[in-house]
Amino acid sequence: MTSFLPLAADLNELALAIFGVVLAVTLGITFWASKRTSSATDFYAAGRGITGVQNGFAIAGDYMSAASFLGIAGLIYLFGFDGFLYSVGFLVAFLTVLFLLAERMRNAGKYTIADVLSFRLKEEPARVAAASGTLAVAAFYLIAQMVGAGVLIQALVGLSFSASVLITGIFMLCYVVFGGMLATTWVQIVKAVMLMGAATLLTVLVMIKIGGNPISLFNQARDASPAGDAYLSPGLFYSNPIDTVSLGLALVLGTAGLPHILMRFFTVPDAKAARSSVVWAVFLIGAFYVMTTALGFGARAFLGTGAEEAAGAGGNLAAPLLAENLGGGAGTFGGDLMLAIVAAVAFATILAVVAGLVISASGAVAHDLWSNVIRRGKDSDHEEVLVARIAAVSIGAIAIAVAIIGGEGLNISFMVGLAFAVAASANFPALLLALTWKRFNTMGAVTGVLFGIVSSVFLVIMSPKVWPGPDSEGSPIGWTLSNPGIVSIPLGFLGCYLGTVLSKERGNERTFSELNVRAETGLGAEEAAAH
Amino acid sequence: MPATTSGPPASGAPPQGPIGTRERITGPPRREPDWEAIEASPEFRDLVAKRRRFVLPATVGFLTWYLTFILLAGYAEGFMGESVYQGFTVGYLIALSQFFMVWGLSVAYLRYSERVLDPLRDALLAREEENLR
Repeated sequence: MTSFLPLAADLNELALAIFGVVLAVTLGITFWASKRTSSATDFYAAGRGITGVQNGFAIAGDYMSAASFLGIAGLIYLFGFDGFLYSVGFLVAFLTVLFLLAERMRNAGKYTIADVLSFRLKEEPARVAAASGTLAVAAFYLIAQMVGAGVLIQALVGLSFSASVLITGIFMLCYVVFGGMLATTWVQIVKAVMLMGAATLLTVLVMIKIGGNPISLFNQARDASPAGDAYLSPGLFYSNPIDTVSLGLALVLGTAGLPHILMRFFTVPDAKAARSSVVWAVFLIGAFYVMTTALGFGARAFLGTGAEEAAGAGGNLAAPLLAENLGGGAGTFGGDLMLAIVAAVAFATILAVVAGLVISASGAVAHDLWSNVIRRGKDSDHEEVLVARIAAVSIGAIAIAVAIIGGEGLNISFMVGLAFAVAASANFPALLLALTWKRFNTMGAVTGVLFGIVSSVFLVIMSPKVWPGPDSEGSPIGWTLSNPGIVSIPLGFLGCYLGTVLSKERGNERTFSELNVRAETGLGAEEAAAH
Repeated sequence: MPATTSGPPASGAPPQGPIGTRERITGPPRREPDWEAIEASPEFRDLVAKRRRFVLPATVGFLTWYLTFILLAGYAEGFMGESVYQGFTVGYLIALSQFFMVWGLSVAYLRYSERVLDPLRDALLAREEENLR
């Protein structure tokens, strides 16, 4: 995608200036956090000193990616109702997290998903399995976000794709390597506040322009759409109902397997704070998704069909174009200012999400694979933090390289879909069963994660998104679904079940009773570091 | 730090860790809680039963209503496109109801936990703390 936006001569400078302020603030936070980050508990879990409210904002900041902000607003602009399906799934998913995992994770875990899995299973295979799931999800999601960063910054500011990816990657690594989870958390909080502020401002401007009645916004958007009445009903974007259901399942169960979201529960002092942080997060995220609808409809009502080409593939630039329109139009100072603000918010959004992903991936490498599998717990705290920093730099460098080499041609929605599918099919079943099924054993965890990863990756590679051509014609096995969840999630659970009942393994390292009591009561849970 | 073959490692955590963590082994001697006994105790079973009494129906309920929404969106496009009020469609009404469901259920769970579950858990923890002294 080249720059479709009519970039005024002074716009670049304005956007760059706001970018500069964002970067200065986040670097200040990183410097402050770096002096408070020395132990592994500091690095992975911010010393467990984040409050419930702060963690609620940070979860929202970790979760609401540029895909949510620009992508969903764009899908709503283009396809109306079907764009909203994503928002509903993304939000409802937090009930799964709240009811089944948030408090249990805090009570039974230390830094990573693998801590909970390896608790009563054989340490090495369980950690390798859990770390594989974490790394697969983080890799797909991270590359998607990096490519998105490149495309968006290029379009909004005019920097080249490679430079945009490189800048994003370098700042992401600064936060993580020097400031650890404390810096990452505060970058996410600042970003959540900026994002909510920008969305509120745009929504208020849309409502003023429409005359204050939300119903007339619906009607004007419908009247402006070439689809007419179909704009407000399903079917414009997804034509295969099974695919819609499959996507819905992956969204609602996938969030509960996202390592960077689950890791956030280790940063609070206790399970009560973990619980209240989810409630804060659902109000922030829910309000935000309601506002993205107003933005998508506003773009439809005010920009008209002529703007579809300018909004780019997937409508990603619909929200920035709307901001420009609301500020007074292209070329005016107000329009340029609004566009620059939205560009800066989108940039901050990407930075916060990628930092969260990198720190969760570095935990899987350093805490799970290095410290507990390779060094078998013989390494010092200092060594673990050093390895975590090296791991973060390596993972970041690989992600930057893949994003630049793969370039704009990498399909972002394909990568995000893959991340959610693996999270729902590999991480979620194993985690849920380890916490709730007494009989569950190591073989079950390994086969479950393996089934989940292999089936979701295989089905996505076979999906029509990858093989060009109408419908299933391109796919070598005639597979028609873009979203593998409806098959791969049951396969993940089946793998867990079969592995468990077919192995003769008994007498797990620690008993289910211990994990059950710990998870339910918080007895023996990791305490906040004394700072 | 000594090697541990299982569970969260004792990597540099302060010895004043809470009851029953691995760190306990290197810190001042203190008994491991008797996990089986706690699990079998009526207080613990009461806590689990009361949590389940909320979480199970709530989970079944929210998944059902969400799947209903997804299935209707997939298979009943006409119904979802019908106007409820001046162009505001059934689809949007059901989608918005999902938002209120999430907000309502999460606040209800928060209140239920604070009112019913936390006192039970605090009592159980206090008793264990007493036992381990």
